[in-house]
Amino acid sequence: MIQGITGRSARAFPSQPLEPPSDSSTPQPSEIMVSLKQVTKIYTNGCQALVDVNLQIRKGEFLFITGPSGSGKSTLLKLLYGEEQVNQGAIAVNGNLISNLRGNQLSMLRRQIGIVFQDYKLIPRRTVAENVAFVLWAQGFTRKEVHRRLQPALKMVGLQHKADCFPDQLSGGEQQRVSIARAVVNTPPLLLADEPTGNLDPDNSWQVIKILRKLNAMGITVVVTTHDEQLVRQSNHPVVQVHNGRLYRVQG
Amino acid sequence: MGVLRLLTKSDYLLRETLLGLRRGGWMNWAAVSTVTVLLFLFGVSLQASWQMEGLLHQFGSQLEISVYLDTGIQAKDLQPIMAAMPGVTGVTAISKEESWTSLMHEMGLSDIEGATEQLDGNPLVDELRVKAADSDTVPVLATKLNQIQGVDHVQYVDEAVKRLAQLSRGLNWVSIGMTTVLSLTAIAVVTTTIRLIVMARRREIEVMQLVGATTTWIYLPFILQGLALGIVGAIVAWGLITGLQKFIQDLLAQQPEFIQFLTNGMQLSASESLLLPLALLGLGLFVGLIGSLFAVRRFTTR
Repeated sequence: MIQGITGRSARAFPSQPLEPPSDSSTPQPSEIMVSLKQVTKIYTNGCQALVDVNLQIRKGEFLFITGPSGSGKSTLLKLLYGEEQVNQGAIAVNGNLISNLRGNQLSMLRRQIGIVFQDYKLIPRRTVAENVAFVLWAQGFTRKEVHRRLQPALKMVGLQHKADCFPDQLSGGEQQRVSIARAVVNTPPLLLADEPTGNLDPDNSWQVIKILRKLNAMGITVVVTTHDEQLVRQSNHPVVQVHNGRLYRVQG
Repeated sequence: MGVLRLLTKSDYLLRETLLGLRRGGWMNWAAVSTVTVLLFLFGVSLQASWQMEGLLHQFGSQLEISVYLDTGIQAKDLQPIMAAMPGVTGVTAISKEESWTSLMHEMGLSDIEGATEQLDGNPLVDELRVKAADSDTVPVLATKLNQIQGVDHVQYVDEAVKRLAQLSRGLNWVSIGMTTVLSLTAIAVVTTTIRLIVMARRREIEVMQLVGATTTWIYLPFILQGLALGIVGAIVAWGLITGLQKFIQDLLAQQPEFIQFLTNGMQLSASESLLLPLALLGLGLFVGLIGSLFAVRRFTTR
């Protein structure tokens, strides 16, 4: 069912900027996880990151965002989790208009979004298990709940035997898998991965993608940015490309 | 409800607070000792001002006017005149011989004859102690007594009390100023300490923000660390003050009764000895709270 929707909903077309969806096939709002309408982002120093971007991502979708570095991929994700604010346009994530969120509302939205970073952002002085549990503690889960969720999350990424290792005792691929476990341990409906394979060799990259697909199969909406064309071709998921701040559909 | 939710998760807060304090290392020592010095001086001056008040009260409750007579006038002669005056409840006559003997005694001299000879006779005059009905009449009565023939001068406790009260007020101002300045110092040191801990945990804070921890939840451990520094400072300061009290009490126990009598008014009442640790704790918590709020302020307002 999830796979059925996948592939048609990234509303982007080759070689021309995206138009806002207006035809009769517009998905119901309840099915949409992420929606960007005419989004423009210009940094305060005048650096133009995104221009008039339109995009809809349905629930349960697996979407690749590609593009050369500096094209605005990361900015797009940052807008989604509220690290940056748009200059024009509107972004809704899981029904929440991001520009309207203040203070703790943004925190509450972020609890619905798992984020995986290129540089993992693991805490060096804490073990693998502590790093993963850290998210749950930070969100105010009880001790019981933390223990209940920890093992399944580690098992999902195949690292339960390294639970007591520190991040610097792990390989890059393993560290990235820890950061994936951390991103999904609180079972968010949306997972954003910003260049998750950027620092990894092909084998490890593929392993990371496999885990992300497994999560997608469990119903989590996954958005991955990458500049690894090889990986994108291999995985056969819808792809949009960001080029000079504009969005183009490539595949799917 | 929010408090209840906090309590069920308090083990997280406690753990993070202790972890943070461990990261603080020697800076904790700097913060605690500054807070301790502040609270010790604050406690001592607070206690001193209470003791001063106690002393004033002790003096103030006595409604006596001392009347010193001209040389050669007998106290016995004037006693009935004074006793008949309105507003007087009692008159005690003290001859210069009695005064002399008791003074010699207080000074610890046994050879009264010799001392008297050396001074060319008893230098004191006769004295009357006039007791007034109430404290309002004391100054008026003193003026009247002064006009009686044969009275050299009168002295009543009001003047001494006034002087003591002035001194006490002055001391209070000094201690308020000192407490303020030291509080600012202590807040600055606590702020620096907590900020170092915040800096050391920048990455964790960043991750917490990204995974949707609320601002309160992120900074509560730091606030608790500040409060902990204040509490430890208060406990140590209270220990020092209690020790000092004990030392002085032991010292006084070996002194002559005259000094012990003087210091009776300095005993703290039961409520005051309860209030002292509470005041220390209060100021300690205040300094810790303000210090840690300053330390996290820059991050919360962005």
